[in-house]
Amino acid sequence: MTMTEYEAVIGLETHIQLNTQTKIFCSCKADSWNDAPNSNICPVCCGLPGVLPVLNKAAVEKGVLLATAMHGQIRPLSFFDRKNYFYPDLPKGYQISQFDQSLSSGGYLDLPVPASASPDGQAYVRRVSITKLHLEEDAGKTKNAGGQRFVDFNRCGVPLVEMVTGPDLRTADEAAQYLTRLRQLLRWLGISEADMERGNLRCDANVSIRRKGETHLNPKTEIKNVNSIENVRAAIEHEIERQIREVEAGNRIFAWTLEWDEDAAVLRKMRSKETEADYRYFREPDLLPIRLDDAWKTAILAGFPELPLERRARFIREYGLPEYDAEILTAERKLSDYFEAAVRAYGGDPKRVSNWLMNDILRMLNDRGLTADQIKLAPAWLAELLKLIDSGTINISTGKSLLQKVEESGLSPAALVEKEGLAKVSDDTAIRAVAQEVLAENPKEVEAFKGGKDTLMGWFVGQVMRKMRGKADPNIARQMLEELLK
Amino acid sequence: MELSDLSAHELALYLRQRRISAVEILESCLKRIEAVDGRPGRLDGGPLTVEDEQKVHSFITLTPERARAQAEAVDRKIAAGEDPGPLAGVPFTVKDIFCVEGTPSTAASRILANFTAPYTATPVARMEAAGAVMLGKVNLDEFTYGSSNESSAFQPSPRNPWKLDRVPGGSSGGSTASVAAGEAPLSIGTDTAGSIRQPAAFCGVVGMKPTYGRVSRYGLIAFASSLDCPGPVARNVTDAALMMNTIAGADPHDSTAANVPVPDYLAALEQGIKGLRIGLSPDYFRITYPNLQNGTFETQPLPAEIEASVRRAADLLAAMGAEIVEGVPMPNTRFGIPAYFVISRVEAASNLHRFDGVKYGYRTPEPMNDLRAMYRQSRGQGFGAQPKLRILMGMYVSAAQYSEQYYNRALRVRTLIRQDFDRAFDPQGPYRLNALLTPTTPTTAFKMAALYGDSVLMQYADQLTVPANHAGVPGVSLPAGLDGEGLPIGIQLLGPDYREDVLLRIGRAYEEATETDPWRRVRPQALL
Ligand SMILES: [Zn+2]
Repeated sequence: MTMTEYEAVIGLETHIQLNTQTKIFCSCKADSWNDAPNSNICPVCCGLPGVLPVLNKAAVEKGVLLATAMHGQIRPLSFFDRKNYFYPDLPKGYQISQFDQSLSSGGYLDLPVPASASPDGQAYVRRVSITKLHLEEDAGKTKNAGGQRFVDFNRCGVPLVEMVTGPDLRTADEAAQYLTRLRQLLRWLGISEADMERGNLRCDANVSIRRKGETHLNPKTEIKNVNSIENVRAAIEHEIERQIREVEAGNRIFAWTLEWDEDAAVLRKMRSKETEADYRYFREPDLLPIRLDDAWKTAILAGFPELPLERRARFIREYGLPEYDAEILTAERKLSDYFEAAVRAYGGDPKRVSNWLMNDILRMLNDRGLTADQIKLAPAWLAELLKLIDSGTINISTGKSLLQKVEESGLSPAALVEKEGLAKVSDDTAIRAVAQEVLAENPKEVEAFKGGKDTLMGWFVGQVMRKMRGKADPNIARQMLEELLK
Repeated sequence: MELSDLSAHELALYLRQRRISAVEILESCLKRIEAVDGRPGRLDGGPLTVEDEQKVHSFITLTPERARAQAEAVDRKIAAGEDPGPLAGVPFTVKDIFCVEGTPSTAASRILANFTAPYTATPVARMEAAGAVMLGKVNLDEFTYGSSNESSAFQPSPRNPWKLDRVPGGSSGGSTASVAAGEAPLSIGTDTAGSIRQPAAFCGVVGMKPTYGRVSRYGLIAFASSLDCPGPVARNVTDAALMMNTIAGADPHDSTAANVPVPDYLAALEQGIKGLRIGLSPDYFRITYPNLQNGTFETQPLPAEIEASVRRAADLLAAMGAEIVEGVPMPNTRFGIPAYFVISRVEAASNLHRFDGVKYGYRTPEPMNDLRAMYRQSRGQGFGAQPKLRILMGMYVSAAQYSEQYYNRALRVRTLIRQDFDRAFDPQGPYRLNALLTPTTPTTAFKMAALYGDSVLMQYADQLTVPANHAGVPGVSLPAGLDGEGLPIGIQLLGPDYREDVLLRIGRAYEEATETDPWRRVRPQALL
């Protein structure tokens, strides 16, 4: 038996922190990143006696956006339930969650798996079903220090969507691709910061293996505590290999819970869960059902965006972009919006816009730590700049340097060209005079050129351009130099 | 007559007329408390003395300094010509199941004995905003789990002012005892299965369970969240209406508090009852309970005195122009208690999870290395018998393998009980009732220690009150005379959702009709 005779069966359970201003059931600030422990808390999220939850509608709205993007069926009436268990980070002794009638049912993601992540080097699409999508409240955090146990309730009540896939993924790469696409989608929709390192997006992976061709599910292990997409991939990879080794050795797979030790890159068996198996779900009597009537739903979905994978496909189809370009340009929603706006304003070859974006604008964004909607160089100005080049008013190098100037001055490219006199000089006599100057100043090079060192022509052109601060038309300069050196 | 014996609306009026001051009212009530209340309930209260048996013991925590500051503030406002609020200067007590900022909020349990609330419950905040003066926190059954107040961890537990060897009822027994004894004209109680109406009947005062959601639950330490209703305890209907005006209404802190306009409950009070249809149901003139040996239901008629007081009330109301409708079937009444046993305990067990020794309240003093052991010890030592019984049963019937046969079935029964009321009150239906007139309780106040411990029988004492909690409809208990032993009898009016105004109107008419009854002049034993 070899590895290729097995396939892995993987399901992912994700917890997604929604980026609402306030928590799901009280008015405390939801984001406590870098805040002191227990600084964003109130009687409600600390579960003091007598308090009641009041639903933050923004959490429902963000949940609906995600469910819609995942092709889920939104329930017009859904309910909150209590999930009862004891843990110090759960101040009420129950978590307000949704059980049998959650916000949305079903759904799927058609996951494109690129050739680079495919076992046989062929790109393909994997349909990943969604078996659970519900709203709930996050719990707090505990830590041990100096022989004592500390609890931080800041995270209590941060709105979460729990979203669980069917056992549809077959490789660790697919799992990583799924998380990458999910993260992209969450940011695209603006509903979560989706930063795994900060715990905005958390993932547990259920892993089992079976012989290829089999359809039943074998006992699975659950991998927890993985805080990056790469680590999820690595942990699943390790676990698949371990399970194959066990089965090959004639051992059984037990339904363990495993923890990924990032530093050692190994999986460790976790202490058995300190919670009860039976959560005794029942309807949360302190909250009314969520009634998503048509008016509310319509308001939530007004302006629902084209999704990244759809837009990626359309960029390829409509603008004739290579897959590589389309992928990069749709990695982030604002960048893709920028691209389209620039293409429309430009009216010329979309690939040209793409090149400028991928080479120059992206670098500018990265250097300045900005998003595409934050730069002064608006799409219309990029288009204007490209047109200035196309019409021969400026040359490409002037164009490139204009990018920075526009960004720094806030003036349009045309205005800058006017103001700084950057328009190309195509006056033959002016260029001829400078060319003569260059040749007169560099007799050794002239000698060498005449001796057959043709490559020096480029150097002469460069000298002319430099003297004219880039304004000369390089074609004319070359023409002049060739005449003078004859 | 002392100020402490005046009603809330009289006190409020005299205060506005500057005939009396808020501080004078307060002094009168504190004097009364000093005279009749005896020592307050406390943990490990020790054996009862002969003197203890002659006192009412309404209070767990008396807050005279806080009260004095509030009363002085009211007097200052009046002196400055400002509006001091509709309940200005009127003292009230608060069942110690409500959080009040800066005061111990104990739920009459060891597990919360050291808990001081950092915020104030909405109904209490509204009373104070209306100028009412809180005297302190009064006793109850531990976490409201009981009908006699004897389960309080704070002993001595309250005694019935009418006969001091009797229980005041419960769980709002401290509330009704304090009002009956003239310690305060008003109190805030809670009603989960009759916990306002039953002690009101036992103590000869008016107690109203409003429609579920009419009064905010924010700050009420939850028993059964889908059944709990805060409500007023008063010595007459007008005072109950006055208090409803203050505490009713939507609350941004409680999404189950209904966004339904609040009428002026005083405005319609004197309009009479001509043409109102008031029903009598045979299902409320008997108690049905299961025979635990053979599983059949057995029926007991009510004591004749109790049935007679309801019949007499019907006659009086008919004479005032109401139409009495006999024979209204309420067939699911008898399932009210079993369904309540299941639903309330599932919710109670869950609501009690938060008392785990981690954040507040009691934690075992023994050092614990293991988290589970810390939970077990803290909860084992902190909870009394009644919470433990409810946790055990609640955990049992909500377990995955039993919840269908118990919890989900109980929810279906609840729907059936609601349908009984829907049919009776349906304006297009066969009965078209404005209210149902029933006894409040199957007995008058029982002797201390007579029933305590027999949890099942004590719970069946709630059979006539619990259907309104299942259905969410409003109900009010009115004093309706004394039995042969001189103990108060209560009659109950139940009405459609949000028609507290109609119930209060009928109650006021009944008060007028019985104004000259001799029993209305009788004073409780504690005041003799
Ligand atoms: Zn909070």
